[in-house]
Amino acid sequence: MKRSIRQIQKDETREKLLSAAHIVFGQKGIMAARMSDIAEAAGVSHGTVFVHFKTQETLVAAVIDDFGIRMGQRTHDMARNSGSLRDVLKAHLEGIREDEAFYTQLVIETRSLPPIARETMISIQSAVSFHINQAAQREMDAGVIKPMSMALLFNTWIGLVHYYLTNRDLFSPEKSVIETCGSMLIDHFMHMISSAN
Amino acid sequence: MKVCISCGMPMNSPEDFPLGDVSKDYCIHCARPDGSMQSFDEKLQGTTEFIIRTQGFDAKVARESARAMLSRQPAWKSVSQ
Ligand SMILES: [Zn+2]
Repeated sequence: MKRSIRQIQKDETREKLLSAAHIVFGQKGIMAARMSDIAEAAGVSHGTVFVHFKTQETLVAAVIDDFGIRMGQRTHDMARNSGSLRDVLKAHLEGIREDEAFYTQLVIETRSLPPIARETMISIQSAVSFHINQAAQREMDAGVIKPMSMALLFNTWIGLVHYYLTNRDLFSPEKSVIETCGSMLIDHFMHMISSAN
Repeated sequence: MKVCISCGMPMNSPEDFPLGDVSKDYCIHCARPDGSMQSFDEKLQGTTEFIIRTQGFDAKVARESARAMLSRQPAWKSVSQ
């Protein structure tokens, strides 16, 4: 079915609002951002926001849902091009890097956001853990890394990454903490789990 | 590009499909060995076990998380309520 010009314009405004909200949430925090901040960033009137999203919660849910789909796609792409566990970890950080501010905010605020935030976070983590698990299992079987619980291997990695992200002000106040510390974290993690210590 | 109706995984190449059959709407991880699609209960069980094994969640939380994730997929929107 062909969309009317009116519908196309409406869809474009919705897209504009979603991407403006994504940026504003990353800068100000998801709960702290106001609808008026988002309207201003998108260059539309305050009332227009409410035409598309009746409540702030609906907007938050839509932005998070959108983000989850994008991260899912990115995670899947990364698996295609990564062989080793080190490659997967590198690709994981690159995926986060593309949306670092928003991702970090999501990590910090998950528990105070609508349930969709937690669900999205879990589904992103499940996709990532799937690929980490596959690569880690191969290297464990080959004796390259130490035998250990897959859950602990994954949680140790996520714990490390999230600690640096949520404390970016301590490690990299001026720019992306992934950019500043990413390769150090990968080297350290690989060293810890490697059999050759 | 297709997205699996059962788990949401993007399916870009033949190896993402059950038995390489690109006409299917579900992915290799949502298929039984014979290529047919897993039931909701089978997929729920598999996803729950996977979450426990790879992320270490409490069993009950893992099951609830798996249910929440699956219930948003087109194949299970009506089944999982
Ligand atoms: Zn699937």
